[in-house]
Amino acid sequence: MKRWIVIAVVLAVACLLPLTLNPTGYWIRVLTFTLLFAAMAQAWNIIGGLANQTSLGHAAFFGIGAYTSTILLLKFGISPWIGMFAGGLLGGVAAFIIAIPTMRLQGHYFALATLAFGEVMRVIANVWTPLTGGPGGLSVPFVPPSLALYSFKQLLPHAYIALAALVVVTIIFEVIRRGAMGYRLRAIKENPAAAEVIGIDTTKVKLQTAVISGVLMAMLGTLYAQVAVFFDPDTVFSAAAISVRVALIAILGGVGTAIGPILGALFIIPLEELMNDLFSSGAAGLSQLIFSAILIVVILWQPRGFVTVFDKMTARFSGDISDKDRP
Amino acid sequence: MSFLQAILDGLLVGGVYAVISIGLTLVYGVMGIVNFAQAEFLMIGMFVAWFAWAYLGLDPVLAAPLSFAVAFGIGWLVQGQLIARVLKAPSVAQIFLTVGLLIVLENGSLLLFGSQFRSVTTSYQTMSLSLGPLFISVPYLIAFGMSLACGLALWWFMRTSWFGRAMRATAQNPMAAQLMGIDTALMYKIAFALGVGLTAFGGAVILPYVTVFPGVGGQFVVLMFTVVVLGGLGSVAGAVVGGLAVGVIQALSSLFFPIQLQNLFLFLVFILVLAIRPQGLVGASR
Amino acid sequence: MTILEVRGISRRFGGLQALSDVTFSVPKGQIVGLIGPNGAGKTTFFSTLVGLIRPDSGSVQLDGDGVVGLKPHKVAALGMTKTFQNVALFAESSVLDNVLTAGLLRHDVETARREALVCLDRVGLRSVAHKLAGNLSFPERARVELARALCTGPKVLLLDEVMAALNAVEMQDIMGLIRSLRDDGITLLVVEHHMRAIMTICDRILVLNFGRLLADGPPQQVANDPVVVEAYLGRSMEAHR
Repeated sequence: MKRWIVIAVVLAVACLLPLTLNPTGYWIRVLTFTLLFAAMAQAWNIIGGLANQTSLGHAAFFGIGAYTSTILLLKFGISPWIGMFAGGLLGGVAAFIIAIPTMRLQGHYFALATLAFGEVMRVIANVWTPLTGGPGGLSVPFVPPSLALYSFKQLLPHAYIALAALVVVTIIFEVIRRGAMGYRLRAIKENPAAAEVIGIDTTKVKLQTAVISGVLMAMLGTLYAQVAVFFDPDTVFSAAAISVRVALIAILGGVGTAIGPILGALFIIPLEELMNDLFSSGAAGLSQLIFSAILIVVILWQPRGFVTVFDKMTARFSGDISDKDRP
Repeated sequence: MSFLQAILDGLLVGGVYAVISIGLTLVYGVMGIVNFAQAEFLMIGMFVAWFAWAYLGLDPVLAAPLSFAVAFGIGWLVQGQLIARVLKAPSVAQIFLTVGLLIVLENGSLLLFGSQFRSVTTSYQTMSLSLGPLFISVPYLIAFGMSLACGLALWWFMRTSWFGRAMRATAQNPMAAQLMGIDTALMYKIAFALGVGLTAFGGAVILPYVTVFPGVGGQFVVLMFTVVVLGGLGSVAGAVVGGLAVGVIQALSSLFFPIQLQNLFLFLVFILVLAIRPQGLVGASR
Repeated sequence: MTILEVRGISRRFGGLQALSDVTFSVPKGQIVGLIGPNGAGKTTFFSTLVGLIRPDSGSVQLDGDGVVGLKPHKVAALGMTKTFQNVALFAESSVLDNVLTAGLLRHDVETARREALVCLDRVGLRSVAHKLAGNLSFPERARVELARALCTGPKVLLLDEVMAALNAVEMQDIMGLIRSLRDDGITLLVVEHHMRAIMTICDRILVLNFGRLLADGPPQQVANDPVVVEAYLGRSMEAHR
């Protein structure tokens, strides 16, 4: 089938691309972060796209993952690979705890509530210095290069890990979307009362989606920690740099579609880098300003179809609009 | 005794919180959107007042109406040109519009004014009155007084003026209001401009005891949202109750916790209200 | 055997007593009509039965299981579901997906798909399975909703005005369908305003007015009950005798 061929080709290119870049250079770093943020946006997409709940607090899970694996490594010498799963577990627990009170909130209110949770985590991390190193942040301890301990000389392996993560999260996304859970989520989105009456446990479904999204996001936090090597609460628990950004990437790219977060990240992350370059000599805040101004313009240009800006383009690409077209 | 003092301080400060937050709840009540950029207008109000003080020698408290006017004007434009266009769009678009606005305003002020901290000095800054064994800080008292005046003016406006009643009608039932001949688009402009104007007014009024810098909005965001959620999103009376409550909670928690944890405590209150009573103490769910 | 046992169901909304001490039992396989003027509480009653609304007092036993206080999805799992008066389909999904989703209660996706096609067949809409649900006409959507409810595999099916806006032929079809559902062992409670249809297919009629059960009996008996006639039926029943 045509679509599988396209996907295979894209994957092949994606796998080979990192090799063409200077392994210690600048662009491999951009690529790594692009792939990582695409994966993060995809994890967000599970709640924001499939469950249609705009979360502005996903940094909470991300930071939990980053801190868990790093603290385990620092204090107990545990490999970040294991730490990643520990972080994922905690992320899932956090998602569960957050989901329960916020589940019945809608739209703006839900966004507000999740934003608050993200900020709570940031404050906790800033305050609980003995555990998290406080505002000073944490450094991932230097370890001689070893696969078992997730330590590499170059950025290249990180890029591949990020790529693998993106593929895994995307597969999970698609499995949910096409499976029973996808049907249930669509039903809940359209008419929660009717969904209940035909036997859908809306609470359980929402909780499950939240936990999956939280687990994945937390695990990606570990990936970030290992690449960035240093982070602090204001970085990994940041509402603007993480929560809002991943949501934006997914939305701009095409919320609810598998390819959306990928396209969104390919567009946004390099663009941000470019603007930081162009305007770094200018005053602080200029690139952010221009970026947000662009965002506002895009929202106004397509307010109703804000999420379809890329959808229409990608629909032709992947033939993957929604379940409407499925046989 | 420090307990009573804390309550007194909390009430004074809380009155200001109420005025600052009323705008947020008003906008939600009339238009159904949460203005994520609301706290940036606080920053704008503070900067206007600071510049009035630095270049015109105006006491911040006197500059408050100026702050109101500037923010009102900006709000009017923002509502008309930006927000009006997404009122019928999905909530995701509305959310990101005001989030984008937040970033633009904050970074814009960073570019214009630089990141340094600025504060004012006034003759009464360190004065305090005695009320028996308790102290009343004069800046607090003046801020409270101004907020009270502002609050009363708002109350009068909403209750008796035609505009006020038209806005309440629009909030309750936009369709019916339109059928009655009310220009709802105009109402939205007024509500938004008024809302951000009030927040800016509050900013000017607290300038005697708060330092201004481009990121100051971020320090008040949690507070504002806790106030409105506690009181009930959409309820002006709720914002008053919420403001006073948050002021007192904050003051009391400062007796027991260091400043960082105070914020956390406030957050937890916020989350608890969301979990247990999302419509707030006073408000009705929308 | 009694499949549905309703005792003393009452519900108040502020100043309005929407349901008042509703009590009756239904044996398995009966087709029960529920009639009453607009605002009598019929839809509210259905909502109470499936768990969308919690009654202030009373009990409901479905095949021996108490269902008051359970969330609607649990009631559906136990075997009772309803259709919505204004039709609550998932407009952005295909007709098949709408029905399929209901089938997920008891089956996996593939089996649910097969079941869904069977249900669509029964309501005669298999041909539009791949159309967008929101694009169908109102009567068609009502039938899809029926198919969807059917796909949950209910013991007791509550139909809320499925015959609204149907022409005579379509009505005959639905009536035939309702009878065949009963022949399959499903018990049905049907709210309808089409008097002739109700009187024809129902074994028994319940009359609700102002939240109270006014009458409970075979169609002819209810039609002749002066209390009922006075409250509701009046001249239209005279014309049918």
